Amino acid sequence: MIIAVSGKGGVGKTLVSSLLIKILAEKTQFDILAIDADPDSNLPEALGMEVKTTIGDIREKLGEIREELSPGQSWRSALEYEAMKALVEGDRFDLIAMGRPEGPGCYCAVNHVLREIIDTFAKNYDVVVIDTEAGLEHLSRRTTQDVDIMLIVTDCSKRGINTAKRIKELSEELDIKFKEVYIVINRAKEGLVEKIKEYAKSIGLEVIGIIPEDEIVAQYDLEGKPLIELPKDSKALKAVEEIYKKLDLEKKIEEEEDLMLYAGQRSHVTHAHVHGFAHRRVI
Amino acid sequence: MAFEDIPVDVGLIYEGERIRKAQMYADLAGPKSFGAELLRVKPMDEVEDEKVTVIGPDFKDMEQGKAYPFCIYVEVAGEKLEEDLEGVFERRIHDFCNYVQGFMHLNSRDIIWCRVSKDAVSKGLSLHHVGKVLARIFKQEYEAIKKVQVTFITEPEKAKEFIEMAREVYEKRDSRARGLKDEEVDVFYGCVLCQSFAPTHVCAITPSRPSSCGAITWFEGRAAVKVDPKGPIFEIPKGELLDPVKGEYSGINKVFAEKSGGTVTRVFLHSVFEHPHTSCGCFEAIAFYIPEVDGIGIVHRDFRGVTPFGIPFSTMAGQVGGGVQTDGFVGIGVEYMRSSKFLQADGGWKRIVWMPKALKERVLNAIPEELRDKIATEEDATDLESLKKFLEEKNHPVVERWAKEEEKKEEAEEKPEEEYVEMPTVEAKAFAPGVGNITIVFKNAKIYAEKIIIKRGSK
Repeated sequence: MIIAVSGKGGVGKTLVSSLLIKILAEKTQFDILAIDADPDSNLPEALGMEVKTTIGDIREKLGEIREELSPGQSWRSALEYEAMKALVEGDRFDLIAMGRPEGPGCYCAVNHVLREIIDTFAKNYDVVVIDTEAGLEHLSRRTTQDVDIMLIVTDCSKRGINTAKRIKELSEELDIKFKEVYIVINRAKEGLVEKIKEYAKSIGLEVIGIIPEDEIVAQYDLEGKPLIELPKDSKALKAVEEIYKKLDLEKKIEEEEDLMLYAGQRSHVTHAHVHGFAHRRVI
Repeated sequence: MAFEDIPVDVGLIYEGERIRKAQMYADLAGPKSFGAELLRVKPMDEVEDEKVTVIGPDFKDMEQGKAYPFCIYVEVAGEKLEEDLEGVFERRIHDFCNYVQGFMHLNSRDIIWCRVSKDAVSKGLSLHHVGKVLARIFKQEYEAIKKVQVTFITEPEKAKEFIEMAREVYEKRDSRARGLKDEEVDVFYGCVLCQSFAPTHVCAITPSRPSSCGAITWFEGRAAVKVDPKGPIFEIPKGELLDPVKGEYSGINKVFAEKSGGTVTRVFLHSVFEHPHTSCGCFEAIAFYIPEVDGIGIVHRDFRGVTPFGIPFSTMAGQVGGGVQTDGFVGIGVEYMRSSKFLQADGGWKRIVWMPKALKERVLNAIPEELRDKIATEEDATDLESLKKFLEEKNHPVVERWAKEEEKKEEAEEKPEEEYVEMPTVEAKAFAPGVGNITIVFKNAKIYAEKIIIKRGSK
């Protein structure tokens, strides 16, 4: 299951991503991977994790890596090793940061291999949450495969809403396949919510959740405290819990597992396998 | 294959398995410790089949969550085995280890990283099992391998000794691999990763010619095909060797004709003339013929100055890139300059007259010693005149060609009536979204233009 969260910078997509991860980590046994695909986001901070190396850093370093390799050695395996090193491993979820998009020069071959590496990573998890910038660059480059659920976060500003529209158009232009696309309204102001809902409807999107202004979030932001530690009575957390319920994520992920088990036809597969990766490769 | 005695599953489907820290029992080698792997071919009587030795603690004696040194030593025997196969077999250790459920293996040689999962250890998996699996799969995959014994080392001092020994073997093996010749392999590789913007470009990858972007060597091609057999990198059967000096193979010609839609039908791997390799857009450097000095210059992507032609890399790249064949120009990878067949049809290094200083320093070891001072850089020559002067002063090998050229000219002047020069066919492919491919063909044409501007007509 791949969930992408997008939106204009500053509208609160990192809030939504990190709280979704928090809920998944606390309520389920699923293996979770967070991908930070927005170089300007602060997902690592929101999750209380520190990223030392990004995938972008590895790409930049490839020249050095290659010069050091002997003729028979493959830089593909070297990249795999470096990418694994870049993975930040937590108790309940892991995080990988994509870093900046590349500079000049050719990266066709490198990107192709990195894509394969990240895809292989992703297959080891039951659920992947991607915090992605509004340009959807990483999605268009197929850094990730098709996305199951896309949440577009907006605030009540005209610019936020326009970006939401742009993201929807972009995803169509780029031919990224989403099974479900929804709007999430953050820092909702009374009186404006109905207007945004109408607007969403006019561009063919459904509003799946409304997150009210939350003083605790503002306070955490100010103090630089990880959003993942928000207390149970936080209004924002409660609102994201509602979204989680509406999305029916737990059921959808389990159904996906069952489907894959069936496709894999591994009759002796145990429950442990379900939470491993084994059958997922078969498809 | 029989794996009933192994407490976990074994199979190809576990290949992409990554053991996360949360599921991990122990970290082996990798960034937190050290280790290496090595495979050696041994005489039949020195290998005891399926014998597994563990020096140091096995999984069950390891402390959960800790990192340990880890070495894998595989010794194989079989009447038909040769030492040259060691590298090929050794790279399979990675694959075969990964077939074991709950065991992760990354990378190769002295930068391996392994992990074993809590789940596997609780099921009773031991290094003895991993060794048995390795031995059995090796025998199954390679009929020539008759016996396999495996040793694991987790004891720090012994591991250090082993790594030293392994490094010596790697070094010997590398010096052999560097000399791997096109003649010694059965297949080449092709890559069409760049076809989205260079529709007629195919990259031919052979032991003596890495891809133009420099990223894919023959070994890399082989690894890529194994990972993704239907991907953008594919095998090219060599076919017949049509010209050993120019590097023309019927198999490569055939693939180019197919993949370029018939635009490119002949390719010389080791020449900038007549049918040079097509140039994508990603090449690390351009080799360009300078008729005024009858030599070849090379400019690389990072060089911001101008070539003796008065134009920078970017302008030249725009002219020769896009998947076309341009007589006198070819996009190359820097590694190709270290090849023993580097532009051999044109005279190799003896024909190289100019390159940026930074590039020259990078490949200095590949340049024959007697030529190192004779190749000009931007510090010695900035235009054709100063280049000519420099070459003459240093008595560069091309200067000899000038004299011969003079003689030829004189001969030609004596009997000019029979001279016929066939002009090269220049073909330019243009592509714009929604317009489709446009092919412009000039045959036997002599055209001089400062600039050609093609404008779209008004609607």
